[in-house]
Parts: sequence; C-alpha cells; structure tokens
Amino acid sequence: MPPYPPPGAAKKLLKYVKLVYQYIVNNFLTLLLIPIALAVALQILRTPHEILLNKIWSLLHMDLIMLLSCLFLIIIVATVYFMSKPRSIYLVDYTCYKPPVTCRVPFSTFMEHSRLILKDNPKSVEFQMRILERSGLGEETCLPPAIHFIPPTPTMEAARSEAEEVIFSSIDSLMTKTGIKPKDIDILIVNCSLFSPTPSLSAMVVNKYKLRSNIKSFNLSGMGCSAGLISIDLARDLLQVHPDSNTLVVSTEIITPNYYRGSERAMLLPNCLFRMGAAAILLSNKRRDNRRAKYKLSHLVRTHKGSDDKAYKCVYEQEDPQGKVGINLSKDLMVIAGEALKSNITTIGPLVLPASEQLLFLLTLIGRKIFNPKWKPYIPDFKQAFEHFCIHAGGRAVIDELQKSLQLSAEHVEASRMTLHRFGNTSSSSLWYEMAYIEAKGRMKKGDRVWQIAFGSGFKCNSAVWKCNKTLKKCPEDSPWMDCIERYPVFIPEVVKL
Amino acid sequence: MELIMLAICIWTLLFSFYHFCKKRDQCCYLLHYECHKPSDDRKLNTELSGSIVARNLNLGHLEYKFMLRAIVNSGIGEDSYGPRNIIDGRENSHSLEDGILEMDEFFKDTLSQLFVKTKVSPKEIDLLVVNVSLLSCAPSLASRIINMYQMRDDVKSYNLSGMGCSASIISINIVSNFFKSHRNSMALVVTSESIAPNWYSGNDKSMMLTNCLFRSGGCTMLLTNKPAMKNRSKLQLKCLVRTHLGASDEAYTCGMQKEDSQGILGFYLDKNLPKTAKRAFTQNIAIIAKTCLSYTELLRYFVMKYSKKKATLNFKAGIDHFCMHPGGTAVIEEIRKGLGLNHEDVEPSKMSLHRFGNTSASSLWYVLGYMEAQKRMKKGDKLWMIGFGSGFKCNSCVWEVIRDLEDANVWEDVIKNEKEEVNPFMDRFSWINQDTYDPPPGSLFQKKM
Repeated sequence: MPPYPPPGAAKKLLKYVKLVYQYIVNNFLTLLLIPIALAVALQILRTPHEILLNKIWSLLHMDLIMLLSCLFLIIIVATVYFMSKPRSIYLVDYTCYKPPVTCRVPFSTFMEHSRLILKDNPKSVEFQMRILERSGLGEETCLPPAIHFIPPTPTMEAARSEAEEVIFSSIDSLMTKTGIKPKDIDILIVNCSLFSPTPSLSAMVVNKYKLRSNIKSFNLSGMGCSAGLISIDLARDLLQVHPDSNTLVVSTEIITPNYYRGSERAMLLPNCLFRMGAAAILLSNKRRDNRRAKYKLSHLVRTHKGSDDKAYKCVYEQEDPQGKVGINLSKDLMVIAGEALKSNITTIGPLVLPASEQLLFLLTLIGRKIFNPKWKPYIPDFKQAFEHFCIHAGGRAVIDELQKSLQLSAEHVEASRMTLHRFGNTSSSSLWYEMAYIEAKGRMKKGDRVWQIAFGSGFKCNSAVWKCNKTLKKCPEDSPWMDCIERYPVFIPEVVKL
Repeated sequence: MELIMLAICIWTLLFSFYHFCKKRDQCCYLLHYECHKPSDDRKLNTELSGSIVARNLNLGHLEYKFMLRAIVNSGIGEDSYGPRNIIDGRENSHSLEDGILEMDEFFKDTLSQLFVKTKVSPKEIDLLVVNVSLLSCAPSLASRIINMYQMRDDVKSYNLSGMGCSASIISINIVSNFFKSHRNSMALVVTSESIAPNWYSGNDKSMMLTNCLFRSGGCTMLLTNKPAMKNRSKLQLKCLVRTHLGASDEAYTCGMQKEDSQGILGFYLDKNLPKTAKRAFTQNIAIIAKTCLSYTELLRYFVMKYSKKKATLNFKAGIDHFCMHPGGTAVIEEIRKGLGLNHEDVEPSKMSLHRFGNTSASSLWYVLGYMEAQKRMKKGDKLWMIGFGSGFKCNSCVWEVIRDLEDANVWEDVIKNEKEEVNPFMDRFSWINQDTYDPPPGSLFQKKM
C-alpha cells in the first residue's frame, strides 16, 4: 500500500473539491433559503387550521389607507426602476466582407513583390520572409488591387474605391439579411483608422444609400484595431438617448494608402500582417428586435493606457529617415498589451466573474497584502464566465500571450488563430470574423456568453461581452467561412519554410 | 375617493420631482472655451501671401490672376495665421511631423490655459472628443492629448475625422448624448483643422480656393452636466439639429478631397457650394425654428402663410445673437439674405473671417469670442450657432447665456486698438480686379506675366 495517494487521484480530488466549492459559493443565497423555507413550512404545519385562517383573514382586512399606500409605493418603485434601467442593446445581425479570390496574396506573390520593390535592400526582404514564415497567416489572405501593382499605386482614388468595395458589399449583404431599409437607419457610425478622406466615409455611405437627412452620423478615425468596440460604445450611448432606433456600425481598415514603401524593418511588419476586411453590424434598442436579434450586449469596458509614455509610443505612425510614412511597432508591445489587459480585467472581472472566483481572488489579494506578499496572484478562471473568446487576431504573438495569461485552451483561441490564418489581421473587423467562425462551426448556443477583446494604438484595451440570444445550428449562408469551414481547424506550424 | 385622489397627487408630485432631477442632471453646460492664437511669427500678411503665390511654379498667368483675385476678395486681413512649414517655404515638402507640430502648438497653448482658468484637473475629464478633419494619425490625436495631460485610464475618447467644417457641433452632439446617460461628468472637446500637410500645389482653379481661405486655428471647450457648476458656466445647450444632405450627389460632391488631373492631392470646392449651403440651411431651419422661436412668432408666420401673403420668419423674435460659420464672404452673405438679417448681425462672422480667416470647425468659437469680447452677451440671451461642412452637412445649435460674459480672450488686441476692418489685399493687389493684364512695374508678378 503506497504511503500517499497517486498524483492522478490527487488531481481528481482537487477538481471535485473545487467543483463543490464553486457550487456552494455561487448558489449561496439559494442554499441559505432552504433551511429558512423548511423552518417556515414546519411552523405552518404545526399551527392548527383555524388560527391560520384567522391570521390570513385579518391581514386582508387591513386599513384601506395602508393597502393603497402599499400599492402606490410598489407602483412608484416599479416606475423608477424601469425608467432608470438602461435600454437593452441588441445586435440584430452582422456581416463580414469576403474579398474576391483575385485579391489573394499567397506567400509566393508577397515575396516576389517584396523582392522587386525592395531590390536594394536584401536584408529587409529576408526580414519580411522571416516574419511571414512565423506570422500564422495562410495563403488566402487578401490585399486590395492597388497594392498588387509593382510598385503599389496608393492614390486617393484607389483608396476610395477600396473603401467603396469593402463597405458597400458588407452593407448590401447586411441589408439583404436583416431586411432593413436605408430609410430606417437612424444612426450611422463608421470607423477606419488610417484613411480619412473629406467628405468622410460615413458621408460616402449616406450618399450611396440615400440615408435620411436627419441621420446622426459619426466617423471615427485613428483609433486603432480596437475601434470596432469604440464604435459599439458610442452606439450604446446614443441608443440610450434615442428610443426605438437602429444603428448601423461599419468597421474596416483601408490598406491602400498605408502600405509602407520604405525599408525600415520595424515598419515593414504591418505590411506582412494587415489585410483587407470589413464588417457591418446592425444594432437596435427596439424591444421587438429581442425575438430576431442574435446577441445582446451585456458589458463594454474601455481602458486607455495613453498616460504612460511607453504605452503611447508602442504603435506609432511616423516617417522613416527617407520621409516614407509607416507604422512603427515597438518590441515592448506584448508587455504593454499584458498590462492593458490586466487593467481591463480589473474592471470587467467583478461584472462577469461568478462569486466563487471573485471570492478566491479577494482572499488571495488579502493574503498577499496582510500575510505574505510572495503568494502568487490568483488569476481568475475566465472560462467560468464565458463560453467563447474572440481575441483580436493582431498577430500570433498576441494570441499566444493571451492564451497563456488567461489560461485558455487551444479550442478557446481557435477562432482567433483560424481568422488570422484565413483573413490575416483585418484590424477592427477581425473580432467579427472570429464570431462568424464560431457560428459557422455550430458552437453558438442560446445563453452562451462571448468575450471580445481588442487592442489598439494609444494604447487601448477594449472588451465587450455579448450574450447569445438564439441558437445557430448551421453556418449562415453568407458567412465568409461558408466555403472553407470544413477545412478548419488547420494545424498552423511554428515556422512555414519559404 | 379622496384618498385615491390624494394618492394620485402624491404619485404625480414624486414622479415630476424625479423627472426634474433627472433632466437637471442631463443638461449640457459650457464651462469655458479657449481659442488658439498662434505666435506672431506665424502671421500670414499680404507680403507673405503674395510671395507664396508667386513661388508656385505650377501656376500660369491665368491661375495667378485667379488666386490673387480670390485672396483680394476673400475678406481675410493681415493678421491671420498659417502653419510653420508654409511660412518657412516648405509648403510642397510637408511631412506628417509638420501636421503634428501644428496640433502640438495648439494643444499646449489652449489646453493648459483652459485647465488653469477653470481649475479643473485633466484627471477629472470623463469624455474627450477631438475633431480634426484633414489629419488622421496613429495613435489618434485624442490619445496624444491623453498622453500629454496624463488623463485617467477609463476616460472615453472619440476621434472624429473627415467631418468637415461643422464637426465641432457634431462633437457637442456626442457630449450632450453622453451627458444624458452619465451623471456628474466633465467633457473636453478639442476642435481644429490641419493646414500644414494640405497645401495644394497644383493649378486646378477649383482646388486653389482652400489655399486662400483656410488658416490655422483651433478651440478647446470644457463642458459639464454637474448642476453645481451651472453658476460658473457660460452657456447652456438648448437644442441641437443636424441635417445631412449626403443623399444628393450634387451636395455630396460639392466639397471633396481628391487628386487633380496631374495626380496632385487637393480639396475641390464646387461653384454650387453657396446654393447647396442654402438648401441644407433651409432644411435645418425648418426643424430648429419649431424649438427656438417664440410661439407668437410661429403663430404670426402660419397666419401670414395661410392667408397667402408673403411670409418670412423673423428670427430675431427668438434669437439674440447669430453665430455663423465664416466660410467665406459669399456664404455669409447668402445666409444673411436668407435669414433677413442686417449687416450688424453678421458683423461678428465677418470680423472673425477678417482677423483669423476660415479656421474650419473652430471658426464658430472665434465668432463667439468676438461677441463676448464686445460684451454683447447678457444673461438670458439666446445664441444660434450655424455650421456648414462637406458631406454636405448643416448643423446648428441654440445656446442660452447663463451669466453676463465679458472675457476679451483672443480678441483683446483688436478690441484695444479698435482696428477698422480694412482689406489690405485690396491696396496691394487691387489691379487684379481691373481688366488689364499688366501688373504694376516692380511687382512680384511682372516677370511671371
């Protein structure tokens, strides 16, 4: 007989203890009610019938004034409660843009272009090749037509036509899907970080679809890859004030004017990662949309680390020594992303985590402060709070880092990795491609909670929590994953030898 | 029966009290605003403007004539400001850094003063809205301000771009909506335009006007919905109406950033712009008149209209001050005629155009500053701000003055010196309006022509 139980048994025991602990703490109030209910039931059973009936009769014969005042008090409290409750925001539906096959940039095309454009800088070409090998991107990501030219022709005309193509296609399919007419749109928000023509992209949408003249339109710019959630936040604030309204949110990133044409290595990185994409989302606060909406917004938390200089400079648009404009990504990006995420979690944790996790976190915090600072900080188990995770497909390193720090399994980050593989980093719209992946796989069920996390320049970390409103059994027909979902998930090797 | 009536009365009272408290917390008060006055070494006087025009090698003699005519008739004086790169002669080789430098000078000048004068710390700001149409960088200008002033990490920021000259009213719209669902908050609005990277160096006449009209400037405003700060505030927002004519192709293309036939980027202004502005304006008036004019005036108007007589709305029946976007003399004149106003009513806009030029989205605040410096704003007065912008948008809002305002702000030197409105370009270049093509001897243009 061994003196100690085998390690496998110890782990199982710990797991059961943890389950029991979670059950007790999360259902504490219900468990407390059981003895009280039992006591009341026992008391009722003990008293004889007549005394019981007498007591009930005397209650009903209370003063009329008392009865009326109770009634009015209830009405007042109910009115105040319903009036001060924030309106529910429903995500009726959304669509993601699927670029045409002609815009595909397989590795061979990318490297050929790179060698021709950077023929004077073989070291930069090699750098790009190494990045591409380890990027986690696949062979089907797309770049806009203007970038396929050698050298690329990033005129304003070309940028506008890319914007028209991606935005109008997404909105067209969203309108077909939801049946909404242009005249029904009350609020329009467009976000595109690095391309901001005058008139704005929102005016372009108003012009194309002949939207109403009293539309409230907003064009957000420069807000990075987390701008999609910033637009949702703005929509939420507006929908609290305007009853019975529809909001159209368009998230995109226009690549044409932002392709770096110099040879500085830190600035060549975005060329390897950013790809064409867009998403159009329809939000509503109409109660009748509860029936047909896909999701309901539960929480949205924004964190801005701009006050820290290092965080502010980590994604920075600047000119290289030759005067060519590009985006410089600093080496500290992962560390800063981790810090920003911690701040964001500190706010969102108490809102979404079950009581058991919060209690454990609180106890460890107290322990560290009072007893021993060397105790390891407790990382709450977010898998208890969410069924699905949509982590911005910023790059392989970002997804790896978040998987490690949030202790997620490979299945949880599968949507992010596969989106990076199939579509590349489409900036603010990537979260919606990931959501579409989960739906296409048939994993989204009613009541499931989804956590979208996005990072952006500034440095911002924004996260949104959605609750699924209806089970989606099969892949929607216009999903960008329609023709390829059977192939996924694919194994993405550490390095793809080119 | 009486008990029920009593109960209903109590309920109504409680309900109205709750509603009143809620509405009071949702009001939007303008605590203070600071307009930007760049340093004197950035002044674009007649001499400098003339030399900038002359050194553009792309212009033929017809284009020179057009450009000078535009400058002469623009209504802009000797003291408007330009960005450093244009003054230093680098208008054609501008960089992203020039644009950011222009913004940095504006932020440092106005924001520090704003925080000091209102005794509000940057850490108290809950919402930051920045709108600069023609500059979009990463990280955004909103992030730049958060970094400069060390704001909190839960501050909500929005960076609007591409929304044209009426964008400051759109920013106020975001703030007033925010105030309706968040109590006891402070908001900072920063509005400006980026001139440095947007100089047009081609020879398309419809794109050269922006070089003549747009000047550097900006404004920062601090707004709040804290009831306790009402007494310290200057203005209270009464209503805001936005009109978007983008559905019409003619309106959408009348102010557009695009490349000319030679591939040079510029801002195209259509000849029909004043007409489109009038159309947008008419639609906007139709909605705002209902909310801000007195009932007697509206009644009079309808009676006149239905008795088939010629009826015009008398806006002065409800509005005391008119704050119009000084887009150019043509636009101001068009609006003046449309509203039936006299020249004194549009004097602030004309003075603002003369002194600071068309500073795009922030120009309305210079006009407001002039009215305040002239001590015209008294408690209870109503002020109507009208802005136009590409898209085509017409946005307007009505403010009520909370207390008598006397701050001379950036207009101090003009008020002190009581300078008269003189067109300096007329003296130097008035020969351009004559039919002959010969410039006076010894002038810059003799050789070119």
